[in-house]
Amino acid sequence: MNLLALSISHNSAPVEFREALFLQKEEIDEFIAKAKGNILSEGLVISTCNRTEIYGLPAAPEISFDHILKFLLNQKPVPKIKNEHFKNYFSREAVNHLFRVITGIDSMLIGDNQIYHQVKDSFLISEKNQFAGFLMKKLFDAAIKTGKRAISESEISEGAVTVSYAAVQLVEKIFSNLSKKSALVIGAGETGEIAAKHLKERGIGKLSITNRTIERAEKIAGKLNAKIIPFADFKEYLPKYDIVISATRSEGLILNKDDIQLMMKKRNFIPTVLMDIAVPRDIDPASKEIDYVFYNDIDSLNIIVEQNLAKRKDEIPKVEKIIEEEVSTFFNWYNSLEIAPTIKDLRDIFENIRSEEISKNKNRFNSEDHEKLEIITKRIINKILHNPTVELKKLTERGNNSDEAEMKISIIRELFGIGRDSAKSEDEDNI
Amino acid sequence: MNSFIDLLNILLPFLYLLTFVIYSYNFMKGDKTFFNSKRLFLFLTLLLHSIYLILRVIEFKHPPITNVFEILTVLAFSVSFAYFILELHTDIRGTGPFIIIISLIFQIISSLFIEDLIEVKEVLRSNLLGLHVFSALIGYAGITMSAIYGILYLILYKEIKFNKFGLIFNRLPSLEILERLSFYSAIIGFVLMSVAILIGIIWLPKAFPDFSYTDPKLIGTFLVWIVYGIGIISKIFGKWQGKRVVAFSIIGFFIAILSTALTNFLAQSFHSFY
Repeated sequence: MNLLALSISHNSAPVEFREALFLQKEEIDEFIAKAKGNILSEGLVISTCNRTEIYGLPAAPEISFDHILKFLLNQKPVPKIKNEHFKNYFSREAVNHLFRVITGIDSMLIGDNQIYHQVKDSFLISEKNQFAGFLMKKLFDAAIKTGKRAISESEISEGAVTVSYAAVQLVEKIFSNLSKKSALVIGAGETGEIAAKHLKERGIGKLSITNRTIERAEKIAGKLNAKIIPFADFKEYLPKYDIVISATRSEGLILNKDDIQLMMKKRNFIPTVLMDIAVPRDIDPASKEIDYVFYNDIDSLNIIVEQNLAKRKDEIPKVEKIIEEEVSTFFNWYNSLEIAPTIKDLRDIFENIRSEEISKNKNRFNSEDHEKLEIITKRIINKILHNPTVELKKLTERGNNSDEAEMKISIIRELFGIGRDSAKSEDEDNI
Repeated sequence: MNSFIDLLNILLPFLYLLTFVIYSYNFMKGDKTFFNSKRLFLFLTLLLHSIYLILRVIEFKHPPITNVFEILTVLAFSVSFAYFILELHTDIRGTGPFIIIISLIFQIISSLFIEDLIEVKEVLRSNLLGLHVFSALIGYAGITMSAIYGILYLILYKEIKFNKFGLIFNRLPSLEILERLSFYSAIIGFVLMSVAILIGIIWLPKAFPDFSYTDPKLIGTFLVWIVYGIGIISKIFGKWQGKRVVAFSIIGFFIAILSTALTNFLAQSFHSFY
């Protein structure tokens, strides 16, 4: 299989180059429109903040990785970028790499299942642009199956691996049902927004946001259907909330121990979670000494993140085994496509030799023996080809080593010159 | 039939041990091995244990409640059976080892010392006694589970408070769930203990001439009942929650253990036939 894959990711290039090569959806459409038929007959373009990858079947035998790279950089020029910033994969390695990407084991954040959806979306873009041919569609099905197996058969995507998600995981260790709880997010910056989003996704009952700049709070509140609390007197509202997540850019503490003590008294010491994900911290760490106050800052949340990342790393061998199985299944299917034409070509070669020799030597036999000659020579050919045909058919059966099958097919094609004549005749046609 | 009962008697501690090991393995590893099959092991253990109890009733012609070792095997069954129902109902599977170990301890003691009693005192053949003892046993199973969930609550509370995110943090359900499990078990325990006490008050003075309201076992049981009563009322009406309610549950359980130990092995009591 002549599948090519060109990749730039966190494994090969620094962030400035990855960012520069990030392709928006419209840019992918444009790339496909130009590449289709010129350099690739069918393919797939994946572009995320951490990687841009192009998979495809070359439109002509002379198309190489360099052609694809030049084509890409022509569309999106990036100064100072070098060939070393890219990785190339061919055939089996390309399929293997795609499966590693979709399962998240090649991601910067191991097991990140966002990439699964991003790869899926990329396939849909290819399909919409009629860039996904027969092989790409089959590759898409195999990749999706591999991704799903990795999620269900391993724990590669389990546990929180970001601080804001770890905060939500911790909250769920204290409260059983978030739909009956209320949360206040202090600070409407990026971190606060992500935390608010996670809470909303987990079905928090009541969500409020407070921020020094009311416009920013309004923007997030609108998106997440949250209530806005005026920043000037947010402390008065504190006792109403079971969860307080603070993520402001304030230089000093915005809540001291006395504030929390007062809040707890008013709450009749109902358990309260304080998540301080701001740097520098917003809430006095001494608050954790108060009964039923569960205080956590970035450092303690990072402990959870590190633990979960270590667990995910331990799952990589399991996922690699799944990938190995799925790559073999894919190549078994692919080889089965090659086997039928190989058998036909092999039989054609022998038949051509036989009929050529018969016509050359026909005159040496009596006319009444011609029919017998036909029968005997055909029988000889059939007997010679019987074993190779059976062996070739066996290669398509499940459980066979796809590498071995590929090798055997290529040896047969090489030994008998299968494909050479057709290539030659195609060349002659082009002349 | 007798030899089969003996065989089950030997087998049961090993079955509880096996179930405990499987539950513990799953708790420690946290992977998918035994995640579903561990429940099957518990079910099979309970099935064989129920066969064992039924066979004893048939063979020895009395319910297995006439001495402390018969009661321990019923208690072992009740605790694990209550857990099994709870696990099926709530699908909370992380607390199994902490409950099954109680059944394992009870069953080991029972299997070591239980005898094939055919002759029992006439007073122990009463139906009221059967009701009294069974409600007391299920009540004790309830308070045992309540105390275990209470202890797990306190451990998890400390782990979260001091940012120790180890096995307990990863495997146990949330604090709210542990508190709820402890409370519901306490209510079941309290209600059934009330039934046992009520039957006891009506029936015991008639059955035992040496009955006394100052008997250490009775005082101990009343104390346990009062502690649980205060805990439950405080939770419902006084809006108490968390560590305070859980503390009542744990204290009540230890008073129950202490009173049983004292009456059975140290003090002289009319109640010390079991």
